[in-house]
Amino acid sequence: MYALVDAVSYYASCEKVFDPSIRNKPVVVLTNNDGCICAVCPIARRLGVPKFKPYFQIKHFLAKHNVVIRSSNYELYADLSEKMMNVISRYCDNQYVYSIDESFLQFKNYSNIIDDWHDYGHKIRRAVWKETRLPVGVGFGSTPTLAKAANHAAKKLSGFNGVAIVDDDASRKEVLSRMSVTDVWGIGNRLGKRLNVLGINTGWDLANQSAKLMRTQFSVVVERTVNELNGIACLSWDDVRQPKKEIFSTRSFGQRVNDSYSLSTALVSHGAIVGRKVRQQQSLIKRLVIFAASSPHDDNYYNKSIIHEFTVATDNTLTIARAISAVINDIYISGVNYYRCGIGAIELSNSQFVQRDMFSTSDDNPELMYCYDGVNNRYGNDALKVAAEGLNEKWHMRREFLSPSYTSKWRDIPKIVC
Amino acid sequence: MFIYSDFVMKVIPLNIEAGISGFESPAAEYKELGLSLDQLLIINPDATFIGLAKGNSMEGVGIFDGDLLLVDRAEQLHQGDVIVANYNGCFTCKLIDKDKAQLLSASPLHKPVTVSADDEFQVEGIVTRSIRIHRKTKELSNVCFS
Repeated sequence: MYALVDAVSYYASCEKVFDPSIRNKPVVVLTNNDGCICAVCPIARRLGVPKFKPYFQIKHFLAKHNVVIRSSNYELYADLSEKMMNVISRYCDNQYVYSIDESFLQFKNYSNIIDDWHDYGHKIRRAVWKETRLPVGVGFGSTPTLAKAANHAAKKLSGFNGVAIVDDDASRKEVLSRMSVTDVWGIGNRLGKRLNVLGINTGWDLANQSAKLMRTQFSVVVERTVNELNGIACLSWDDVRQPKKEIFSTRSFGQRVNDSYSLSTALVSHGAIVGRKVRQQQSLIKRLVIFAASSPHDDNYYNKSIIHEFTVATDNTLTIARAISAVINDIYISGVNYYRCGIGAIELSNSQFVQRDMFSTSDDNPELMYCYDGVNNRYGNDALKVAAEGLNEKWHMRREFLSPSYTSKWRDIPKIVC
Repeated sequence: MFIYSDFVMKVIPLNIEAGISGFESPAAEYKELGLSLDQLLIINPDATFIGLAKGNSMEGVGIFDGDLLLVDRAEQLHQGDVIVANYNGCFTCKLIDKDKAQLLSASPLHKPVTVSADDEFQVEGIVTRSIRIHRKTKELSNVCFS
């Protein structure tokens, strides 16, 4: 048996943990630079607040309904995540933390110990709520994909109260036929549309396809999904999170930028973030996209992206910085008010299987990068920076509605009235 | 994967002896791990948070304005415990009387409060320890005590 435990609108719920005055109020959390709404608490959802809408578009709606607005407080979310995961880990000896608010559990040989999974799910929910004040949903399934579907049912479908179990044909049919195919784990919107054309609209429709046929028509991933939906476990923890095929770092500016130096430092900083992530998953960058744009809401919308191909694939932040500096004059135009910029590694290869080039040698310096990452892991990112990142923080994140760092700064600890 | 802080191995630092080093320290054999206040004071690290006491209604149990409170959400609630509750949207530290549904202060100046059905009320956790800061620290000097 597998379980997926994840938090209900995690960021919004975190905001309520140390601020009891907003526990019963509608709360939304904004993304980086307060751009879009990224989390909506259940009370706000009932008011009809949509997710992923730009903040400025529904500012008045939020004000009219007295919705509490918060910027993303990543320091708080990371700390509470660790505590939540620790509490969950007490309930299973095989936990896989999948994201900041989701973890899979694999129960091997638990059938003699646990006779009522429904009851066990509620035990987990109660413990997490009591000890961390975070609401979670628990889905049990005979495969990871079914556990994910059960979790969806536990939180979104009527008739389930935070816990759902999909472990036999009856429960599979009930839950999957009430789920849109795009709600199935691993089926994105684009793939969903192609499936819709074939008349596959629900999870149950997909489960009844021939796995082999799905493989020839789509991919091995869809084949695996079909098998998983039929109770044949195909995914192991390593498959659950494969290395990313593309890595981007991009963000809108806190304030518009109109000089070449600021744009260049921002791009190099994004380059450094991409470099770090690439090294973390042991990849090398073959092709890099460098882009900058004004706002699409501006007159004379300007948008430029340049693709740089490395002769020898690299994971070296200095090499990335050099590539950016070389093209900055092609991207920057005087007079444009830049609204966003970013770097994307769009073609990656595995650093463990490198095809060497006979004519060009790599100027990578793994020892230097190892040391650079080591220092930054220990003393915090940006402890050591590439000089081209500059010291200018003008483009850094805007977080106007940031809550206090209740658990990580002494001056911010919660006040208790005596 | 997370590395759980509880599982990180604590290492006793011993210097490597090289070459001519005079007499070995007679205490080297007896070196132990230093004392950790976290280990002593925090029973359930994942369920505990630190708060700052404001006000003087709890002086009778030794909690003064500006003290640090360790609040444990996992501990079992007993009659008469010092607790932190969410009382109408505000973290409040009081003694609990479960039978009478009352919140008691430890000061003659404050009357007991009876929790009614109209109140927003949840027990947030048990105050397991309180810490007095006798000499000001830099970290807490910015905290607004008013």
